[in-house]
Amino acid sequence: MSRSDFVRGQLSEVQAPLALSALNNRWALAAPGDFSNDIDVLNYALTLEYLESAFYQQGQAAGLLSGTEKDYLDKIAADEAYHVTAITATIKKLGGTPVAAPGVNFGAAFASRNSYLTTSHTFENVGVGAYLGAAGFIKDKAVLQAAAGIFGVEARHAAVVGNLLGLKAEGGVYMGAFETGVAKATVLAGVAPFIVQMSSTPTGAADTGGGSASKDDKAGLYAVGSAALLGAAGAAVYVAKHRAAEQAE
Amino acid sequence: MGDPQIFDGKPVLQFSTETNRRSFLKYAGLVGVGASFVAGGILNAPYAAANAPAVAKGDLDILNYALTLEYLESDFYSTGLAKGFLTGRDLDLIAPIGDHEKQHVAAVTSTIKSLGGTPVSKPKITYPAGIFDSKAKFLATASMFEELGVKAYHGQVPLIQSGDILGAAASIAGVESRHAAVIASLIGGNPFPSHIEEHVTMATVLAAVKPLIS
Repeated sequence: MSRSDFVRGQLSEVQAPLALSALNNRWALAAPGDFSNDIDVLNYALTLEYLESAFYQQGQAAGLLSGTEKDYLDKIAADEAYHVTAITATIKKLGGTPVAAPGVNFGAAFASRNSYLTTSHTFENVGVGAYLGAAGFIKDKAVLQAAAGIFGVEARHAAVVGNLLGLKAEGGVYMGAFETGVAKATVLAGVAPFIVQMSSTPTGAADTGGGSASKDDKAGLYAVGSAALLGAAGAAVYVAKHRAAEQAE
Repeated sequence: MGDPQIFDGKPVLQFSTETNRRSFLKYAGLVGVGASFVAGGILNAPYAAANAPAVAKGDLDILNYALTLEYLESDFYSTGLAKGFLTGRDLDLIAPIGDHEKQHVAAVTSTIKSLGGTPVSKPKITYPAGIFDSKAKFLATASMFEELGVKAYHGQVPLIQSGDILGAAASIAGVESRHAAVIASLIGGNPFPSHIEEHVTMATVLAAVKPLIS
């Protein structure tokens, strides 16, 4: 998929309302070998969050927006930066090694307000689908809760940016009555044009200043007691597979 | 976290049967589980909820709780949209929300049935005077509804056992997040009130709609 395809939002066409009767398909979106453990999922999410965070840092610096639009995107940028910090801290807390920020190149995305917001819109919808698609792999309930909470915020971003663009309500602002997960391979193919160097070598750079987990627990997803839902997704799987056996009843 | 008050705390819901009312109230029994889960800290007791026996048989109750809220939302939008004071882009953005809530009602109902459960029937809803008097009041109430709905779904996440049900809840919750953000932007509110969605327990939701169970 070329960058222009991505910018045009073709990837978002993956999203389509699905009946709950097709629920199992949501989990089928993630192939069995996509992730080996929670840290794998978190590093996948971290890469996407790094990408989004860098995207908005550059986009906001380009000075394309003003007024309410600028305020909204400032908030979105802050959300993404927080997600990077929180996921990084959580990976460390779990004993894993966070991937470093990938090298990025957003091409002509910042050529205009429209191209900036259009790319943002697609990014956000991909993020929504990516979290939903990966949720079934998450075993740790706390991680799931936080992932759900992030997922919901990405959905807010997608809807508001879609509205700023004046897109049609259904299929532009909303993507149906139900969100749809997107498989890892599809997500990575979609973002590939923006990643010039995927760093698989963990470095200190991955610590974006959220503080170490030991010094600032609030930085970690674990501390997000206020977060909840998508976690639901994976929690379900975890519960289904493990909890019944652990419980007396 | 302050308890959200919708309809200024005035009576909103009346259950059509005593069974439905008690069924709804029964959810309060799960609240303790959620509360201790949060209060105990996720780190200290990561699987606290897993040890709560009430959770194991709670999925259907949670679905009926969700169904009740979806019924309320669906009726709210049907009633509000019928007043006809939304036009243009406002109408374009709100009309699909009403449609989504109807689809949520249908989907949750069919899910409960497919699991062998019995869906609660639609509650009798009584709106206080004034709620639909103006676009401003309608949208302000819609905003409170949506934000509460988002938090309500997220509050049930750790309590749901079935992966399928969790997936369904997530896919619905994400849509409620979109609604909440769009409506906030329409009324000059904050579409992004937190970096990560917050959650509320059934107790808080019940408090918000307390009049309906009095």
